[in-house]
Amino acid sequence: MLIKEILGKFILVLFLLLFLSGCWDQKEVEELAFVIAIGIDKVEDKENKVRITYLISNPEAGSSAQSGGSQEPPREIISFVADDFISSRNMANSVIAKQITYDLLRMLIVSEDFARDENFIRWIYDATKSMEIERDIKLLVTKEESATFFQNNKPLLETRPHEYFEKILATGNEMGTIPESQLYQFFRITEADADLFLGIYGTTLKDENIQTSDDPQQITAGEFDFQGESNLTQFLGSAVFKEAMMIDSLTIEETRMAILLNPSLKPGFFLGTIPDPFDEKYRIAFRMENASPLKFDLKLTGGTPSIHVTVPLLLEVLSNHSMTGYQKDEEKRNKLEQSIEDNLNKEFNDFVKKTQEEYKSEPFGWSLLARKKFSTISDWENFDWMETYSDMKIDVDVQVKLGKFGRQSDLPRIEEIRD
Amino acid sequence: MEQSKQLIGIKEYIAIVLLMVGTKVTDNTPTILFEYIKNAGWMAPIINGLIAIFPIYLLIKVFTIYKGKSLLEVSDHLFGKFFSFIILFIMLVVAFGAVIVDTAIYTDIIGTMYFTKTPTIIVYGILMLVCAYGATRGFEQIGSVAWTVFPYLQVSLFFALILTIGQGNTAFIFPILGDGAWEVVKESSLRLSLYADFLYLFLFYPYIKSEIVFKKGTWLALVFIIMNLSIVMVCYIFLFDYKTIMQLNYPYHELIRTISLGFIINMEAFFLPFWLIATFVRFSIYLYINAILFGHLFKIKHFEYLIPSLATLIVFLGMIPENPTFIIFDIKEKLLLMTSPLFFLLPLLMWLVAMFKGEFKNANKRNIR
Repeated sequence: MLIKEILGKFILVLFLLLFLSGCWDQKEVEELAFVIAIGIDKVEDKENKVRITYLISNPEAGSSAQSGGSQEPPREIISFVADDFISSRNMANSVIAKQITYDLLRMLIVSEDFARDENFIRWIYDATKSMEIERDIKLLVTKEESATFFQNNKPLLETRPHEYFEKILATGNEMGTIPESQLYQFFRITEADADLFLGIYGTTLKDENIQTSDDPQQITAGEFDFQGESNLTQFLGSAVFKEAMMIDSLTIEETRMAILLNPSLKPGFFLGTIPDPFDEKYRIAFRMENASPLKFDLKLTGGTPSIHVTVPLLLEVLSNHSMTGYQKDEEKRNKLEQSIEDNLNKEFNDFVKKTQEEYKSEPFGWSLLARKKFSTISDWENFDWMETYSDMKIDVDVQVKLGKFGRQSDLPRIEEIRD
Repeated sequence: MEQSKQLIGIKEYIAIVLLMVGTKVTDNTPTILFEYIKNAGWMAPIINGLIAIFPIYLLIKVFTIYKGKSLLEVSDHLFGKFFSFIILFIMLVVAFGAVIVDTAIYTDIIGTMYFTKTPTIIVYGILMLVCAYGATRGFEQIGSVAWTVFPYLQVSLFFALILTIGQGNTAFIFPILGDGAWEVVKESSLRLSLYADFLYLFLFYPYIKSEIVFKKGTWLALVFIIMNLSIVMVCYIFLFDYKTIMQLNYPYHELIRTISLGFIINMEAFFLPFWLIATFVRFSIYLYINAILFGHLFKIKHFEYLIPSLATLIVFLGMIPENPTFIIFDIKEKLLLMTSPLFFLLPLLMWLVAMFKGEFKNANKRNIR
């Protein structure tokens, strides 16, 4: 009796194994080619076609699993013209031996040219159709064609591409040089039709005719002039999307301000510089963070709508090239605080003005705050945030608190040394 | 079957009800609610829950007169053989329609979100095979399975929700009233049949340990379900915003593939098995309900033997529509609208008839059949 029961269960378990393997959808990892990024470019003269580029990662390269001596490259790139990036999978398989899969896809990369095209939206929505594509992948915009971008991108140390992209994007986010740029946010913002979406902006081409500007923070992708022996790729600043079309790009500083002014993002510690009030020749380096949450005062009904934003910032002064003695002099500290505050106030307000005048919408996610002021959707839609925004009276008030003055807070007086 | 007459307790009962109704939030029911009520869709379970108190209260009132009798016998007694047949037949048609539509939708979920290459008939067949097996084991077995798996399902759901709230934005819930207060109440009450399953619960009256257990269990289950449904729907809004969610077919499955836990990005592989188990239990109960009704209407005593044939029939009927995402969605929406009056009026009718027949006064003396 007992044996019969055990045998019965055993047979049942064996029978179950048949189904647990996943039926027709069973796939061996060994038999798959993992696309980790798809590039989409416009094809000249053909409006209904796109150029698809696949970046396929070799998961074995550089890992301890690699059997000794095999010199497989870490990646494979293939680029061709197709109707869309769904059907392109089969076409790629005429060259790539393993079956193409989007299971580990982490990025969609589009060329700026295509992102600025009004038809861009028709292709990007394919990502909601394919069942393997996750919604939290990143959207990147490259200055050049994405096919060129992939080929130029040769990281020296992080040779495995999935590792490289994950690291560089995470670091960039933390430093505030690039926005988060998740695909589902892109869809959400496009559908809500109120705010601007910020995508990651990158390039592998250096802008030949850059003039070193006064402020090294006011640069965007391609304008960072560096020498040495490293990868050519740079991710700097953001691509501004309005109604699913790229309209402009933001510099690092503007990207940072957009992050700082967004109440739903948690900014990290940003480094920046500002003119020294005691010697205009030099700039003071600082590290800033949000001291406390942003405060908003929205008056949307009755007269001109107005928004008053208070941005409490905690600043740490990290350089002191004018060698001013702040240690014992409260007046100097106050002057410094005042000057930083004025400077930041001007920068923030100028940027807000730019969004009002040039973009006629904002990348700060403020429409979500405004929604709280309305009780029904029809009221909200009649208010028409995007339309109203450009005429609003907006006032950003930065409140700076000075924190530490670096590890060693005092410096020798330059007059005393050079007397 | 006669031998299985151990009665089930309150834990199992509540678990069964929660799996029957609560699982709805993971298919396309929220989409239908969001589509008509927009971002106030999460209020619909609450509003409907409050309205549903009324019919459920009336039903319980009627059933307390007849100790230990199920809906079938009470209906036969109150309406007479002929009218009772018609009413129960309508209930069977609705239940059978619902189970076809729902299994087709769940098959579509599995087919479009997880197993894209497996033929539909295989997915459907295996789904119904497991559910039919579960249903033939009898109500008590389903109850104990429901209770055993219930904590795991609830924990996995809340785990998903915690991750969602971490990644979502609470501001998406505004403007809080959606299309306006009146619109919200109107559109939600039209879809009252969200809770129509409660009507079918009275079929199980004789299987429940005692009257107190049934009463307490039903009310507790209603409260839990309202909380479950609306909290989950609020979380959908937090993650997707209303414009997006109105376009998603299956928000739960989009949710579990959007959220990630640190370096683990493909979380759906973790949540899928739990959801599948809930699905199996749910359709086992549905199949069982259909078998009870069918058996009673057509005088088949050992109705458990009907289940395999019913399941087979469901697979073939459910396979008919070529394009489940559109046709079945449409049928489901209509079914949701049409069942609402049934759920509201039938209890009222039963109570009125019982009242006029003077059943309440003679409650203690009478003993039907």
